Amino acid sequence: MRAWTWINERTGAGKIWEALFARKIPEAKGWVAWLYTLGSASLFVFTIQAVTGALLAMNYVPSPDHAHDSIRFIESQVFLGSFIRGLHHWGATFMVVLVALHMLRVYFMAAYKYPREATWLVGVVLFLLVMGFSFTGYLLPWDQKAYWATMVGANIAGQAPALGSYLAKILKGGEDLGAATLARFYSLHVLVLPMTIAVAILAHLFLVVWHGISEPPLKESNKGD
Amino acid sequence: MEAKKWHREYLERYQRLKEAGLPFFPNTVFKDTLVAFVIFALLAYLAWTKGAVLEEPADPTDNTYNPRPEWYFLFLFQALKLFPGHLEAVAAVVLPGMIVLGFILVPFLDRGPRRHPLTRPLGLGLGVVGLGVYCFLTWKGYSSPLTNPIVEKDPVILAGRRLYRDLKCSYCHKVSGKGGTAGPELDKVAGEETEAWLISHFKNPQQMSPGSTMPVLNLLDDEITSLVAYMKSFGVGSYTPEAPKLFAENCSACHMINKQGGDSGPDLSLIGSARDKNFLKKYVEDPSQMNPSSAMPGFQGQLTDTQIDDIARYLATLGQ
Repeated sequence: MRAWTWINERTGAGKIWEALFARKIPEAKGWVAWLYTLGSASLFVFTIQAVTGALLAMNYVPSPDHAHDSIRFIESQVFLGSFIRGLHHWGATFMVVLVALHMLRVYFMAAYKYPREATWLVGVVLFLLVMGFSFTGYLLPWDQKAYWATMVGANIAGQAPALGSYLAKILKGGEDLGAATLARFYSLHVLVLPMTIAVAILAHLFLVVWHGISEPPLKESNKGD
Repeated sequence: MEAKKWHREYLERYQRLKEAGLPFFPNTVFKDTLVAFVIFALLAYLAWTKGAVLEEPADPTDNTYNPRPEWYFLFLFQALKLFPGHLEAVAAVVLPGMIVLGFILVPFLDRGPRRHPLTRPLGLGLGVVGLGVYCFLTWKGYSSPLTNPIVEKDPVILAGRRLYRDLKCSYCHKVSGKGGTAGPELDKVAGEETEAWLISHFKNPQQMSPGSTMPVLNLLDDEITSLVAYMKSFGVGSYTPEAPKLFAENCSACHMINKQGGDSGPDLSLIGSARDKNFLKKYVEDPSQMNPSSAMPGFQGQLTDTQIDDIARYLATLGQ
């Protein structure tokens, strides 16, 4: 116990445990309780994406000349490479689905209401970041689908009123979809978006703990449900 | 101050509920962990059995590839089909923008104390309808062929446009009013020429247009194909007076133009802003090849090639 006291006095681990793990949660009964796991499930898949993404980045080369070859290398030569890439690929789809379901849960339970409006807004930011991950990650394999789907995305951005053509140019890093685009998307995918989403996730979690998890709404009560 | 009152009451009631509740660990953590395991099992199964597809390396000059969006974006592409011509371009941006704006506004528009969906018929209705529309459009998008102009901009034409830029053609030529004046305005004249003429012209300008100052460009055949496709994409506005008559005789029983004609087929008043001449020509020749669910008969054989070409030129000008 002396070791624990030492750590606790220096880190406040006990207080943190109390605030995070010993905090009480209003009871949700039956199947509704399972709907409350969607947020943590999204976080879990995010960690899978972070880990598999880091592993993929160890062998991936973000240049048009080598990107496709490096993925072929991952698929055929790297130990469990194909499996890890599969996890990352399906994890991306799961992420979108889980985040969407999580949003639906919050929407239909109106859990965004006072005092949790800010939690919802940060959630919307998280949703957009996930879309950003999905869009930027799509190009990285540099195969036909990646190239042409991104072309469509850039074309759509180019249709935006007034700033469209600039937006498309910024996105592509020039007039054409090429080496500059790939480098840009890679940087966004592995540096900018992860850092941003880490901050947003922390903010989201802080708000969730700060306000407490919303209680399941009751039908009868008109005093506040 | 009514709003403040329910805020305070809510916080007090929530405090009571919270104290009566169970600690996060181990109760919630147990459920979360269980779900995490199920998800990981599912992920691992899919990763192991299906993996991730890797197609052929990207080929920016490939003119046959037609990308389909991820399934969760299909609804958007399907929705865009509802907007004719230039409106579609706007909708491509405005529609997602409105969805995001809607998300942001949710907590500001719905502020009362009621939370249960059955006590919020509007919120419930909007959610269910929105979800229904999403599912319906996704299903429609999944089961119908992709006929979306933004997606279906012919890559050959795009390649031609790129070449046009790379070769600095605009030093001498104008397209859409931009460019030099030494050569003709291409979008006014080039589309009227036949493909064979254009090909010969690209190979040796002086042979086709004696006295032309255009240099011989020594292009590859592929490049000429792309440039010709780009030139032909301007090919509007040169239909003969015969075309509207042909349309009246053959098409107007089902199609409307400017409120004239039948309504069993789509209104074509703005079709030219969504489709180019070549697309329309192929469609008139054999609709089933472009859109299997079309009930329209093909006109290949019924009309001569020149006549179909003429009609397609005519249609391509509508709504421009």
